Amino acid sequence: MREQRRKDAVWMFLTYAFILTMVVVMLIPLYWMIVAATLPQQEFIEFPPRLIPGTAFLDNFAALQERMNYVLTIWNSVFIAVVYTVLSLLLCSMAGFAFAKYEFRFKEPLFYSILATLVLPIQLLVIPLFLMMSQVGWTDTFRAIILPWLANPIGIFLMRQNMRSIPDALLESARMDGASELQIFYRIALPAMRSSLAALAIILFLFQWDLFLYPLVILEDPGNYTIPVALAGLEGTQRIYYDQIMVATTLAIIPMAILFLVLQKQFVSGILAGSLKE
Amino acid sequence: MSQETESTGNPIANPDPSVLDRLRFARQDVAAKLPPLRGQRIAYLLVSPFFVLFGLFLAFPVVYTLYLSFFEWQSVGQGNLFWIDFGPFHVTVPRIAELQFVGLSNYTRLLGDGLFWQSMFNTTYILLIQVPIMIGLALALAVALNASFVRFKGLFRTAIALPISANIVAYSTVFLLLFNEQFGFVNYLLSQVGVSPIAWLTSEFWARKTIIAAVTWRWIGYNMIILLAGLQNVPQQLYEAAEIDGAGRWEKFRYVTLPQLRPVLLFVVVLSTIGTFKLFAEPYVITGGGPTNATITIVQYIYRQAFVHWNLGYASALTVIFVALVSVISIAQIRIGGDD
Repeated sequence: MREQRRKDAVWMFLTYAFILTMVVVMLIPLYWMIVAATLPQQEFIEFPPRLIPGTAFLDNFAALQERMNYVLTIWNSVFIAVVYTVLSLLLCSMAGFAFAKYEFRFKEPLFYSILATLVLPIQLLVIPLFLMMSQVGWTDTFRAIILPWLANPIGIFLMRQNMRSIPDALLESARMDGASELQIFYRIALPAMRSSLAALAIILFLFQWDLFLYPLVILEDPGNYTIPVALAGLEGTQRIYYDQIMVATTLAIIPMAILFLVLQKQFVSGILAGSLKE
Repeated sequence: MSQETESTGNPIANPDPSVLDRLRFARQDVAAKLPPLRGQRIAYLLVSPFFVLFGLFLAFPVVYTLYLSFFEWQSVGQGNLFWIDFGPFHVTVPRIAELQFVGLSNYTRLLGDGLFWQSMFNTTYILLIQVPIMIGLALALAVALNASFVRFKGLFRTAIALPISANIVAYSTVFLLLFNEQFGFVNYLLSQVGVSPIAWLTSEFWARKTIIAAVTWRWIGYNMIILLAGLQNVPQQLYEAAEIDGAGRWEKFRYVTLPQLRPVLLFVVVLSTIGTFKLFAEPYVITGGGPTNATITIVQYIYRQAFVHWNLGYASALTVIFVALVSVISIAQIRIGGDD
């Protein structure tokens, strides 16, 4: 009995030690990034490195902003991701509703064509999309970044799955009350899907927010750069300004981290919803 | 007349409630039998914006990549492929690109392309080390955070899952500095325990480990959350039954948790394998594919062929092979993991 209790205590200690170690490992890069962003360059690159945040964040930011319009870059990223998320939510829920609640010709083959593309890596599309966009002169535009990914297979799939749970009787009684089919869609189906829409919104936003290879190919003018493209360019310059780079990454990561803390429930259900696709 | 009928209690003008109910059921019956008729038009309206974009930007490019892999790209398309006159307006479809047919030569070329095979090797190498480590740690964390005696679960889970929100290029840039050989934090920590600085970015051996560390950091929390959800679905009675049979911690994990978690675990492995197979941003930012191409990945090599050397046809052939490999791997994993 006593032996067992001692074993339990050791096990508890080991479990906590493991969790805490991992927590520290996960937080170190973020903490260190903030330290680097708040120190002047010469203090940052000395050895041993400083471990306490400084006060030079605004100076570093001003220097970064002088070298490139990073505020504009952040705006571009936010604008693209928000417009994309809203439009894609609309398209996916419309189509998902039709697949869940109506019968129409070619329904099955259309749905299977979507399922087939779920497994395709999006890198596959970069070359043809680049050629298409070049042909119509859309390179270096936001619509070229937003349009191709609007018809999101995961999005329509999730909306279809969830909209099937709306009771038919509810739709039918709305019809009896004289609601048109479109009214049924946005008055009944959409409000009933609020939590699924929130989860999908997170998936879509993060997808567009993290998109790198494609905008790297499409965007040319630095004034149109999104955060990933701008950051990749910062690193490539001859003299590397670590303090400025870390300001840029801090501004890219910390607001999203705060958003994550606030909307954690939606993030988690977004991850789980995205993982249910198999 | 209407006055009369109403006063005489005409069943149609003034029906008794049970008839109304029956009528409503009849109407619902009809509605249920004829959904195609009433649904068709609105369904097409709802579906068509999605499928126009789907066809144009997803289905067509997939087919076009396959087509392109048999050609060599010359230049942006000149002139029109065809145009249709609709009277008041006409639709023109431009040529996407000027191409020269080369048959299978793009495919025979890749067989002898050393750098392609190098990129295949690198990606496989990173994958074979990274995925087991990450899934192992994520599973251990999920089990630990699922233990009944652990407190502040929410707090720990949040901290570990925080990297999910980190932009891929942004966090890669942070890792680039974290593993800097002169003033990076990792070498500083190592120096504190008496290890001499490691060439994280410039040695072939260590550069791959740096990439592995970065990817693992970014995705551990993601996988942990999925596994945690899977663990919470394991029926508690199974553990109780195992305890009655005298099972210890390890036996319970081995004979209850693992079998119950198998589908979720398989899913996580497939997802991570594909994810690592598609690795691009991390090596692009952290090592640039170097040193001496030790960390160049398949996607990075495709990017280089396509948008640095402008061998778009060849890069398409590489893409076809890449996609085929991804599909084969995931199907194989599901087959192996699905069989009992």
